[in-house]
Order: sequence, then C-alpha cells, then structure tokens
Amino acid sequence: MSTRNGPCERRGGSESSGLAARLRDVTKRFGPVTALEGVSFDLVPGEIHGLLGENGAGKTTLARVLGGLLTPDEGRVEIGGCEVALRSARDARALGVAMVHQHFSLVPRFSGLENIALFNGGAWTKRGMAAPGYRERVEARARELKLEVELDLPVEGLGVGARQRIEILKALMSETSVLLLDEPTAVLAPREVDGLFAVLKEVARAGTGIVLVAHKLDEVLAAADRVTVLRRGGWVLTREAASVSAGELAEAMVGGAVGGHLARGAAGGQRPTVDRGRTAMDERRAATPAADQLVGTADPAPVASLRGVTTIRDGEPALRHVNAAVKRGEILGIAGVDGNGQRELARVLARIRTPDEGDATLPAEVGWIPQDRAEEGLVNGFTISENVAFALHGKDSCRKGPWLDWAGIEETAAELVREMDVRATSSTATAANLSGGNQQKVVTGREFLRSADLLVAESPTRGLDVKATVAVRSRIAALARHGDHPPGVVLISADLDEILELSDRIAVMVRGRLIPVPRDAHNPRDIGELMLGARVRPDENADGHAGETRNTVRGPEGSTPGARSAGGGPP
Amino acid sequence: MGDIGALSSFLVSAVGLAVPLVLAALGETVSERAGVINIGLEGSVIWGALGGALGALAAGPYAGLAAGALAGGMAALLFAVFAVWLNTNQIITGTAVTIGSLGFTGAVFQSRFGVTGLALELPTVPAWEVPLLSRIPALGPAFFDQAVTVYLAYALVPVLGWFLFRSRWGLVLRAVGESPDAAHASGVPVARTRMLAVVFAGLMAGVAGAHLSLVHTGTFAENMSAGKGFIAIAVVVLGRWSPKGVVAAALFFGGAEALQFALQAVDADLPYPLFLALPYVLSLAALAGWFGRARAPEGLALPWPR
Repeated sequence: MSTRNGPCERRGGSESSGLAARLRDVTKRFGPVTALEGVSFDLVPGEIHGLLGENGAGKTTLARVLGGLLTPDEGRVEIGGCEVALRSARDARALGVAMVHQHFSLVPRFSGLENIALFNGGAWTKRGMAAPGYRERVEARARELKLEVELDLPVEGLGVGARQRIEILKALMSETSVLLLDEPTAVLAPREVDGLFAVLKEVARAGTGIVLVAHKLDEVLAAADRVTVLRRGGWVLTREAASVSAGELAEAMVGGAVGGHLARGAAGGQRPTVDRGRTAMDERRAATPAADQLVGTADPAPVASLRGVTTIRDGEPALRHVNAAVKRGEILGIAGVDGNGQRELARVLARIRTPDEGDATLPAEVGWIPQDRAEEGLVNGFTISENVAFALHGKDSCRKGPWLDWAGIEETAAELVREMDVRATSSTATAANLSGGNQQKVVTGREFLRSADLLVAESPTRGLDVKATVAVRSRIAALARHGDHPPGVVLISADLDEILELSDRIAVMVRGRLIPVPRDAHNPRDIGELMLGARVRPDENADGHAGETRNTVRGPEGSTPGARSAGGGPP
Repeated sequence: MGDIGALSSFLVSAVGLAVPLVLAALGETVSERAGVINIGLEGSVIWGALGGALGALAAGPYAGLAAGALAGGMAALLFAVFAVWLNTNQIITGTAVTIGSLGFTGAVFQSRFGVTGLALELPTVPAWEVPLLSRIPALGPAFFDQAVTVYLAYALVPVLGWFLFRSRWGLVLRAVGESPDAAHASGVPVARTRMLAVVFAGLMAGVAGAHLSLVHTGTFAENMSAGKGFIAIAVVVLGRWSPKGVVAAALFFGGAEALQFALQAVDADLPYPLFLALPYVLSLAALAGWFGRARAPEGLALPWPR
C-alpha cells in the first residue's frame, strides 16, 4: 500500500509497527453509554484474532471503529502502520479494510451479484446481466473459497445463512489487508462453520489480518491464533489461543461465576462447558429428564398441527407438503441449514402466513420469537415497557378494562428485565438503543409472558452470550415441562447443540421438506449429515415418535431423499 | 381527412401536455430511485417557468430554457438541504417548498411586471421539423415537429434507462434508495448521492416549467404550473419507477387531459373533469400493485440516517 511509505511512519513513535491494524486507547461513547473505554488492540498480518465478550461488551463497536463506520471519541486508529482518520466505510475500504456485518449490509431487492458488484464498485449489472467476465470472476472466487452462493435471486428471499455467504464473498472479492467479521458463525451449520474457518485460514495465510468477533469460546479457540477479551467496554486480556484455556476465557468474559444467577435453570450452577459434544450431551440429560418418555400424553390432541402444508414463494415451493404436530409440553426441534424453509414454517406456525395448500390447525394465540428480532420482534422506537404493552395489551396484567394499566406494564417489564438479565441504561431506553443480544432477551422474555399454547422459537439464542444462552434454554425447557398447561414448543435453530439439548423430537428441514430424525440418530454427526442433505436413514418412519413429523417423500425417493433428489421438485 | 385532422390535433395537444410531465417525471424517477420523494417538484416547475420567462426576455428562448433549468434546480437544492442534509421530513419539506415557491414566484413576477391585465409575451422556442418523419400522417406533427424540449425527453428515456439499470452509478443510486444503510456500509456517500439526484430532478422540473412558458403558452402567469409537478409524481408511480413506463404514463395523462379539452370544445354531454380524474385512479391501482410486481424503492421518503 502506498501510504505505508508515506510520512505517517514518523508519527506517534510506533516504530513502524508492521501491524495490519492497531487501536490505541480508543474510547467511544453513545450519549451516556460508554461502549469502549481506553481499549488498545493489535492485529498482525496473517493472524486470526478472536474478539470475545458478552453482549454489549464492545466487540461490535471495536470492529466498527476499525471498519470506519464509527469515529472514536478518543484514541488513535492505525492501518498498515499509518495513523488514519477513517470517516466512512469507503475510507476503510480504500485502505484494504473490509467488514462482514452481524446485521447484514445487503440491499434486499438486489440479487447477490448486484450486491457484490455494488460493494466492489465495478461491473455493469442488471439482473442476470453483468459485465463480461465479472460474473465468472465472482463464481470462480466462490468456488475457490468453497462458498455456496445464490447469485441471481433477490437476497431478501434468502435465509440468513445464505445472505451471510454473499456478505463474505462480497468482502473477499477484492484485495483485503484487514477483514472484520462480526459474529459470522452464528447462523451457520457445523460443517459450514468448519468450511468458513478453512476459508479464513486460507485468507490469513495470504497475509490478511482477520478479526473474528464471536461469543462462542470453542469456535474462537478452534480458529484463532490470538484472542482478546472485552468486558463492558474495557480490555481484559489478549493471549495466544494455544496458551489459554476455555475456562480462563469464560471467566475473563463474564467476570464472575456464570451459574450464580441461574439456580432455577436445569443447567444452572454449571460452568459454561466448552467442549461442544460433551456440553450438548450433559446439558441435554439435565434439561430433558426423561427423553424417551413423552411429556404431555394426557393431552392427546396436539396444540398445533400441519397437514400437507405447502407454500409458494416467488413461484417456488418454500415448504413442500409438511406434516407436523406438537403436543403440550413437548419440544419439537427443527434443525437445518438456514434457508431451507424454516422462515416460512415459522411464519405459518405463527399465523403470519396462510398455507397455499394443506391445513394448519393452530391455537388462537401463538408466541413467536422471530429470527430477525430487530425487524419483526420489536418496535424499535418503543421503550421496553411499550414493547411489552404492544404485545401483551390484551392480558389482564397489562390492562384495566379498555385502558392500559401502565403500572402493571412497568412491573411486567421490570420483571422481564430482571429475569432475562437485560442490560439497559434505563427502563426508558428504546429498543433501538439495546445491543442485539439484549433485544433478543426482551423479545424472548416477552413471548414467554404471553403464555400462549404454542411457542415458536427461531434461533432464540443467536447472538446471546453464555449466561443468557443458558438462561434462555433452561427457561424454554422449564416452560415446556412445568405448569398445568405447558405450551407446545417448536424450536427452529441452526445450532445443533441447542436442538439436541432441548428437543423431545427432532426433525430436519431440507429444501422445504421436513424429515424426522429417528431417536438413534440424535447426535451431531447424523443430524449434521441430514442437514446437509447427505442422506436419510431408510428406517426413518419406523420410529413411532418421529412418525409425527413424517417425511412425505414416498416411492423410490422415499428411502433416500437426499439433497439432490429432494431438490428435484414436488412428489 | 377531417378525421385525420382531428386525430392529428388531438395528438399534438396530447404530446404538448405530456412533455412537461415526461421531463419532470423522468427527473423525479431518478430522485425516487435514490429514496427521496420531492413533493417540492411543483415548486421547481413554477420556478422553471418564471426563470424561463426572465431568461428568455433577457437573452432569448434557449437561454430561457437554461435559466428555467437552473431556477428549478435551485428550488430542489433548497429542498435537498433540508430533506437530505438536515434530514427533515420529506413530505412536509416538499409541501413547504411548493407552497413557498408559488408565493415567491408570484411576488417576483408582480414586482417585475406589475399587476396588469395584459398577458406577457415571451419569445418562444421554435419547433424543429424532423425531415420525412414529420410527414407521417397524424403522428408526424405530434411527435416530429416539436421544440427541442420534446426531443430532449425522447433522448433521456434510453439514457436514463441505461443509467439506472446498466451503469454502476445507477446501481449505487438504486442501492441508496433501497437500503441506505447497506449502501453506507458499502462505502457509498448516501447523502451526496441523494442531493445530486434531487438536484437533477429539480433541473428537469425546471426545464418542464420553462417548456410551459416558452413552448406551450409563450407567456407566464402566476400558478401556471397548475399541479404539473404533483401530476409528475403520480406519473412516476404509474410508470413504476422506470423511464419507459414513465413516458407511457405521461402520454396517458397528457392524452386524458387533451381528451378533456377536446370534449369541452365539442360540448359533449359528459362531465369532462372525469377524464382528469381517471389517471389518478389508475395511479392508485399501480401503487396497489395491480399492474405487476414493481414496488416503490424500500427507502423512499425515509430519513437517513434514522
């Protein structure tokens, strides 16, 4: 880079650090909230630097400062050894800094190709038509990075995972010396996460410094060379990943005993264990006391059932003849790589969408934790109390006859904030001012309060920190198993640990079809393979429980409706 | 022959009425594609008409066109400073600019020419006859024996179509209109892009206004824009934010107005204002998506940053 040899080298006594990027004593405030306080951070070329911390710890703020989207109030930013004043993402881009955001920065109605062209400032595009060779370059790069991307459909119709793959490809299309990834793994299936890390290691080997913002310890330890932990806007530690244990990191992130607040949760009292497999199995045993025994059998009629439900989206079937039923007190876990019809399924269950074919028998009120909390879960300009009132104004706790009972609402909201450990500056903070994780806590807590007969939870712990994740999961488990009228729960998640930990039954969504997972396949490897459409066990309908959510593929395909055959069209 | 003559004069009238709409609506298409709805367009049209009149008196009709464009652009710049730079509500700001412009242009006109009963006589922009094509029966005089503004409108349709949908600038501009956050994250200067788009719309509306005073009537009168700026916004909707669609929609609006005049002339037993209302009914239908799936840009009329 030309600026590297400029006069900047003489400044600041940084003895020409050779760093890809550096922050020195950076402070950033938003009104009364200090998001970062005196944080310093180094990024060496060719390293993957994991940035860990709980929600609101300042990880995203730090990444956005480096990415030019935020200007620090105090402190210095250096890129490639030069002190710089980044005023926009374009400034950062010009210096080879690219960012993949947690909330996607794609134009919804543009195709993947148009979005990539937009970001990279080239290419003449209109729908399928691009500059000669540009499309091929994009495709070649995608193949090189082993990223499966859809280039022609408007990205608004794609799932979060599919959109994220476009984001990543977009960022990696041009020369990049610093790559910032904000929670890139949150929506990916396990195999995709491994694929992503393989990609990142390739990119790092070529000399790019990578900042990997994450909250999953094990992922960071698997991928990162060095780790920095932030807590409540302050720097806690920076260490070689090889020389630090998961326990140390967890403690640095949380700054206290994790289980302390969670005595009532099934997983309460435990440290957040880090080994994926073992955590899943242990916690599943704890949270699901009798996995083989069907809870709620006294209530033979399902609270919700779908019969032959098909929906069409943009002329394509999004759900294909889905049959499913949930009983009271039962958690039906639906795993799947994002973008296989889960959003449509959740919408049908939440009564937002009516099926184009088939019948949906659903209770009058459905609790719904939508995947996109900022767009669908909350009114951003409302305070927490107003958001509670907006959703629950029909409940006795929130009204006096036709009037809103503000005292009751405030009380309910305060309880929610306490229960879910929402970190808000004040009770009058609007939803827009909460961090992503805290927004999710508000939505989740509120939907619990709805006490509906059916709860649909789409990735309820996405973006949540360790503590909140444990809390939300144990509360879902408690909700489904206690009380006289526990709801039926449909848990849709790309996080296999979560599915395995909580579900009584498991089904996998592959290209709009719901495929039941027999009980002896309730393990990450088998489900993971099903998710990727690799295979379907021939005895899938033999299991009595799994028969509730039976696969509708019949005939020769029925035994092995893998991704390729299942994608071939409706039966 | 009489039929052809009647058809010909109807078409001449329809095209004449449609051209200011085409010009203003093409500009507004660009502005709305960038996410700004400029209700102040009517203000740019009336400033264009007055600027055209003053410019033409000072230095001839072509200077008048340029002055009209400039005047319309200035009104749009005023709007953009508030609605884009200071991030005020686009609808309210635009309404204020329109009402203020109608008042100010009237005041400027009266102070310059006094309150007289006499109509102002302006040098008009001459028609350019296109050889051969203007000889086509009925269509020729309407489409190929017109002032330069008409040919400008023709030329802009493919140019803007290419610009919006085929060029990288168009891609950036549409991204700003669809999703300013995403555009910002991609390094696009959102506010600057919107300012430029709005000012372009103002220049075009100014030309439309100058067309009214220097081509269509040869005079200036207070409030002579007569809602053309508002109609242009409806034309953009009916034309579904595409240059080609906008031309078709503008011709339709112009045709309806011409028909209404024709019916008045023959004293038909019909409530002729009905024909003025019809295009708006269709605009509503277009807005509701009855003519296909085109939707308004997602970020239209939304302040940014929010």
